[in-house]
Amino acid sequence: MWANIVTALGDAISPITLLLLLAGTGAGILIGAMPGLSVNMGIALLYPLTFAFDGVTGIIMLIGVYCGAIYGGSISAILLNTPGTPASAATTLDGYPMANKMGQPGRALGLSTMASTFGGVFSAICLMIFAPQLAKVALTFSKPEYFALALFGISIITSVSSGSVLKGVMGGAIGLFIGTIGIDAMTGSMRFVFGSTYLMGGISFIPILIGLFAFSQVLSSVESSYGEKFEKKNVKIKKVLPSLADIKRVFVTMLRSSVIGTFIGCIPGTGGDISSFICYDQAKKWAKAEDKEKFGNGEPKGIVACEAGNNSVSGGAMIPMLTLGIPGDGATAILLGALMVQGIAPGPLLFTNQPVQVYTIFIGLLLANLVMGLFGFSLIRVFSKVINVPKEILIPIIFVMTFVGTYSYNHSMMDVYVMVFFGFLGYFMNKTQFSMSSIILGIILGATAEQNFSGSLIMSSGSPIIFLTRPICLIFLLISLLSLLSPLYSPVLKRIFKKKEA
Amino acid sequence: MFKKVIATTLCIAMSAVVLAGCGSKAGASYPSEDIEVIVPKAAGGGTDTSSRGLLTYMEKNMEGLKFNVTNNSDGGGITGMATTAAADPDGYTLGAVTVELDMFCFQGKSDLTYESFDSIAMPIAAPAALIVQADAPYNSIEEFVAYCKENPEAVQIGNSGAGAIWDIATYLFEDEYAVSATHVPYPNGTADIAAALTGGHIDATLADPSSFMTQIQAGTLKALGVMSEERTTLLPEVPTFKEEGHDLVVRAWAALVAPKGMKEEDLTALRDAAKKALESDECKEYFESQGIEPVAFIGTDADKIMEEDYAMYKKVFETHDFAE
Repeated sequence: MWANIVTALGDAISPITLLLLLAGTGAGILIGAMPGLSVNMGIALLYPLTFAFDGVTGIIMLIGVYCGAIYGGSISAILLNTPGTPASAATTLDGYPMANKMGQPGRALGLSTMASTFGGVFSAICLMIFAPQLAKVALTFSKPEYFALALFGISIITSVSSGSVLKGVMGGAIGLFIGTIGIDAMTGSMRFVFGSTYLMGGISFIPILIGLFAFSQVLSSVESSYGEKFEKKNVKIKKVLPSLADIKRVFVTMLRSSVIGTFIGCIPGTGGDISSFICYDQAKKWAKAEDKEKFGNGEPKGIVACEAGNNSVSGGAMIPMLTLGIPGDGATAILLGALMVQGIAPGPLLFTNQPVQVYTIFIGLLLANLVMGLFGFSLIRVFSKVINVPKEILIPIIFVMTFVGTYSYNHSMMDVYVMVFFGFLGYFMNKTQFSMSSIILGIILGATAEQNFSGSLIMSSGSPIIFLTRPICLIFLLISLLSLLSPLYSPVLKRIFKKKEA
Repeated sequence: MFKKVIATTLCIAMSAVVLAGCGSKAGASYPSEDIEVIVPKAAGGGTDTSSRGLLTYMEKNMEGLKFNVTNNSDGGGITGMATTAAADPDGYTLGAVTVELDMFCFQGKSDLTYESFDSIAMPIAAPAALIVQADAPYNSIEEFVAYCKENPEAVQIGNSGAGAIWDIATYLFEDEYAVSATHVPYPNGTADIAAALTGGHIDATLADPSSFMTQIQAGTLKALGVMSEERTTLLPEVPTFKEEGHDLVVRAWAALVAPKGMKEEDLTALRDAAKKALESDECKEYFESQGIEPVAFIGTDADKIMEEDYAMYKKVFETHDFAE
């Protein structure tokens, strides 16, 4: 094992890998800091670049983008009151008041940098400790367990979808449908192909992702910035290193949020946005009665809770991706694809078959978070300039990149048409407040659920009892049922609890 | 705003067109310019790795040879292969084809056959191996067959998707030995089969042994037989089905081909370069480092394998219905 770790360390700190890690993390922070560019979009646009590098080098760059972008979102959340990525939406609650009302932007950014780094490093360590253990357990997982897990992930759509449960379910159904197009991998029969050779292989995931998250965003940015007068915002940032008093004050919150964030990251179907809201809520609940009112008015604990919460998702989300091959969200789905392209097959055997690559990824994630912290503390003034990049320059660049990125992925013009189609679809879905993540979840987990469902039935010669006789499978099926029905019974529960309190 | 967007896009599009237009085919000796190679599978897989490996070492063995590889895995590889077949046979568009070429025509997915191409070389032909858990009570093909006969329909054999090559290997095995087993598909590929087999969820698999080597070496899995003409260098101790008197040969191959009708002398030049490349030690070492057993079937030898397999799959698809 130690020999593997040493080899991995050698791979991870080779000049080219380090350079890519720095570039990826830096690019990630910039992407995250620019409102309108999301984590998924950044990873999807830079994904084709990984083909140029052998082994895990390109993947480490993507990990850098992933971590950097989640953190970068907090910069614009704090300075502009506009979250750079959805994961930082909760950070605006206390970050903006501290920077604006209290006039301490440096303190807010420093706290967010500290919390992000802490959360990221914490989750990377959790990944190193728990993933190999889970891989051993995962070997006992057969098709019924994988089916139950995927179903659980899909069931979360109802609770995840912003606002309307119905719209979330509809989005999920669209995703599930898209996942069925092409040759059915289990039986070899063709579904929704209409004689088209392109559709036989199914619609590729990357064009859909770029369309939904990048192209649609470009369209709405064009719309919103049309006729808008650009105002330059000058922010004076003094001290960024958090004071000892602040560290003491927020340390427990930071630790608690990191634990929650890592745990939430492990659950398929969740992500940084949910985690940061839950952590914020928890921080508020645990606070002393006299502190509670400070939340929303620039409370340091509020900033720290969100940022530790969303950054610790990264390590957590990689646990099921590496051990089970089930990605938790769009970002890890692309990472999964990038791994497969490099001949690294995630799953329970990854840890015995390719230990060096696994340790290189672990070290890469750890380094990415440390680099992110280093960048944050030393270059925050540079990064905060990004919020002043005029949209007239930014939007055309991204517009071109959506086409180049999509085409270079598979050299297929059809992919580009698909991207544009989903771009328009995404634009209108945005307008009508549909959750795009639910489509992505449907696509990612739908195929896993279906294949393992029919595979289970093949193994049991058609008897559905197989799902009820396996304890792990049964537990996950019950949890899925609970989470799917939660919108129905949670109002009832709330009423009961309220009565008790009264 | 929108004007700017359109202008930027047009600029890029036009410069691309201008660049593509540069260079003419006026040169005297072949090849006078870069050759495009279409790989019908995604970057990083076995087909891609072996094709790129072969091309890299071919470049070293022929003056002025330079390849540009593009991957197009649309339609499971059909699009890429069809593009190669339809290309001008001037020697500047080549492509890789895979064993699926011999199946697609019987699955109603395309009209292409091996006759649409001239082979240059086949660097990879991975056989199906019968792999089981190391602590299983059977230690030979015969003992495994006996076990299957005692437990009809109960033995679960993993494959990489119904109607795909390893599933067909299982059908051929059943036909040859008059046994019947349950076919369990793992459509994400052999890594999932390896995990399921190691975890004890299935009893056996008939698949390319390279994905199982770590587990075989670690002593958790064992191979009982290989469906190849001769023993594979990956598993030199393991007998072939042929040695046991059963003519079962199932191999997942990929070959570098040209569209039919290329000039004979140019084709010969490419075949010579491929032969030299595949016979060199550094090329063999590269393939082995990628976990691929290097083979070297040049020109008509490769055509023969494609033709043999075509006849075999024809029979298989006539006697089995995989759409069910």
